[in-house]
Amino acid sequence: MRRTTAITVACMTAAALTMTACGRNADAGGSGAGQTGAAVSTGKASGTITVWAMGAEGDNLSKLTKDFETANPGVKVQVTAIPWDAAHDKFTAAIAAGKTPDVAMVGSTWMGEFASSNAIDPTPAQIDKSSFFEGAQKTTEVNGTSYGIPWYVETRVVYYRTDLAKKAGFDSVPTNWQGLKDMAKAMQTKAGAKWGIGLQAGGEGSWQTVMPFAWSEGADLTKDGGKAYNFDSPQLLKATKYYQSFFTDGISDKSAPATPTTEPDFASGKVPMFISGPWEMSAVEKVGGAGFKDKYNVAPIPAGSAGSSSFVGGSNFVVFKNTKNRDTAWKFVQWLADPKVQAKWYSISTDLPSVKSAWQDPSLASDKKLAVFGKQLETAKAPPSFPTWEQAVKGLDTEMEKITKTGEDPAQGLKTAQQQADSIGTGM
Amino acid sequence: MTAQTAQNGAATSRRRADSARRREGRAAWILAVPFCLLFLAFTAWPVIQSLFMSFTDTRARDLRNPFAVNIIGFDNFTKALSDPLFRTAAGNTAYFVLVGMPLTLVVALAAAVALDKGITRFRAIFRLGFYMPVITSIVAVAVVWRFLLQNPGGLINTVLGWVGITGPNWLGDPHWSMPSLILMASWRNFGTAMIIFLAGLQAVPAELHEAAAIDGASAWKRFRHVTMPLLRPTLLFVMVTTAIGYLQFFEEPFVMTKGGPLNSTISLSYYTYQQFGFGNYGLASAMSYLIFVVIAIVTAIQFRLLRERS
Repeated sequence: MRRTTAITVACMTAAALTMTACGRNADAGGSGAGQTGAAVSTGKASGTITVWAMGAEGDNLSKLTKDFETANPGVKVQVTAIPWDAAHDKFTAAIAAGKTPDVAMVGSTWMGEFASSNAIDPTPAQIDKSSFFEGAQKTTEVNGTSYGIPWYVETRVVYYRTDLAKKAGFDSVPTNWQGLKDMAKAMQTKAGAKWGIGLQAGGEGSWQTVMPFAWSEGADLTKDGGKAYNFDSPQLLKATKYYQSFFTDGISDKSAPATPTTEPDFASGKVPMFISGPWEMSAVEKVGGAGFKDKYNVAPIPAGSAGSSSFVGGSNFVVFKNTKNRDTAWKFVQWLADPKVQAKWYSISTDLPSVKSAWQDPSLASDKKLAVFGKQLETAKAPPSFPTWEQAVKGLDTEMEKITKTGEDPAQGLKTAQQQADSIGTGM
Repeated sequence: MTAQTAQNGAATSRRRADSARRREGRAAWILAVPFCLLFLAFTAWPVIQSLFMSFTDTRARDLRNPFAVNIIGFDNFTKALSDPLFRTAAGNTAYFVLVGMPLTLVVALAAAVALDKGITRFRAIFRLGFYMPVITSIVAVAVVWRFLLQNPGGLINTVLGWVGITGPNWLGDPHWSMPSLILMASWRNFGTAMIIFLAGLQAVPAELHEAAAIDGASAWKRFRHVTMPLLRPTLLFVMVTTAIGYLQFFEEPFVMTKGGPLNSTISLSYYTYQQFGFGNYGLASAMSYLIFVVIAIVTAIQFRLLRERS
């Protein structure tokens, strides 16, 4: 009995001590804006660095890093490929345990989280930030500090069937909103399409198709000097109303299947237009078969009052703070941003270069469809790099689903999304 | 003198027994230590930590210093309970359990009775067939079911079309998405319950049935008044395990619908998983404990309703 009491007292004391050790430090994360990483030594790269990369990039990266090893004798680059599904968990666990790699490819929406857990190193001045597309560079910036480089990029454009467009009476995609809608409608009435244009009826990631229109109107997803979300701006409302009209007018399918059938529907002419990223080129050509290459084309997002804009995504490369070989790590990252290396990587992976001058490489410059992506990238924008972005935008995606599927009032939907985003907060 | 010797003897033997008991106790502890250590490290500690987390504002970035967080009392619990989406998820989960569990049990019991009495040829093949979905990977099952439920062109709607019925857009319509998942979950899970029911049925003594038959009881009456009461413990076991499994249903929305359309299939576990994904570890832990409490209550109610009556 007495022993039990003693144990209880000991436990409670331990618990109390733990509790008093709790509590946040006053200056948790997000210190003053505009930091620059310490300079990297100008000497030769040396030693071994570990690199994590996801998906197809992870599988192919070692083909590229061989060149770095040849250029820097004695340097060894160890690439670990991680599947995308497991990547985020693996990174958070590695950060918690202090077992991060030296260098890693990271999804552009994770930057806020990693930066605020003080895990990644600010970019040193040696790396020329102006060499990247502006929107892509913005994805590396958290609170005004740039962490790492944008490695490859993607952006969204309008895909359309040229043969069916001719039947519908269009040579190309009009450059204004009304024109795009007229064209999609004509695809139904004159070219035998079931649906004029394939737009995602809300749900996960649908903001990536809505925001290009909102950004073309000049929308800003943050307000109060970048301190809060801004989902109920008049510009986003205008874009949402326009987006909704495709569904209310029966031009887009509001009950498309859970697993999209974009490519077969595009090849068969059932849905001869859609908005998506560069990976769809090889996807539709694979489904369409030989000669399909000449049956479709891509066009920039029709312009709003602020010109044509789109969404820029892709992946970044960062250096982790607890690297033991910081100089070589940054030299490797800097090397990845070299225009020649970027062009070489395009030839290996078909990932679009984030460095503007890499687009002058003949392999990219000669492709007319790619040129549309290149042009769109100059004005494409990225979402804010708040750690809570994925959670906040989930609310917006849900409201978009209600707006497109059940005809909810766009103003009401955006207001709800804004309230949710406010209660979530930016997490900075 | 003799008395003292006797006393001494008693004391010695007691001491000897004491030390033997102590030695045995030590051996027991030594044998139990590996388990205790593993249990403390991998079961008790995570439970304590997650319980602690549920009372703090822990987020993903706090993992490096898990104790440098603020204690916020029951805020996470009130936040979860006042979250409309959490309530939707609770409603969906209740729908899934209240419809899915009876359906699974009835189908399982019917299949068990059929295997016990009706089906005499190829019994092993039928048993294997009914049990197959249980041992098949959910990912493979999901792909097949997505094809079956596709609209238009899925097998189910094609067959319905033959008899003049226009099938609904199963997974795309918020009214039909949950029934689709319930159907799939019941098909996938009834095999386990069936095997257990079958064992229970075979334990019912044949003499009781014979006696009842001689007394003129019909087959239905015999099932109702002979089989069912004897099956009560089996039923309790199957109900409790099925209810616990269904209250935590996660895989179906995860692989089939991602909680959509319009959040019609988002479950408590799936929503909690999303919150963990967003890095809201404190809130997500609180949600896990709310699910735990619900499961405990539901299980207690079932034990009460189906306890042995003398």
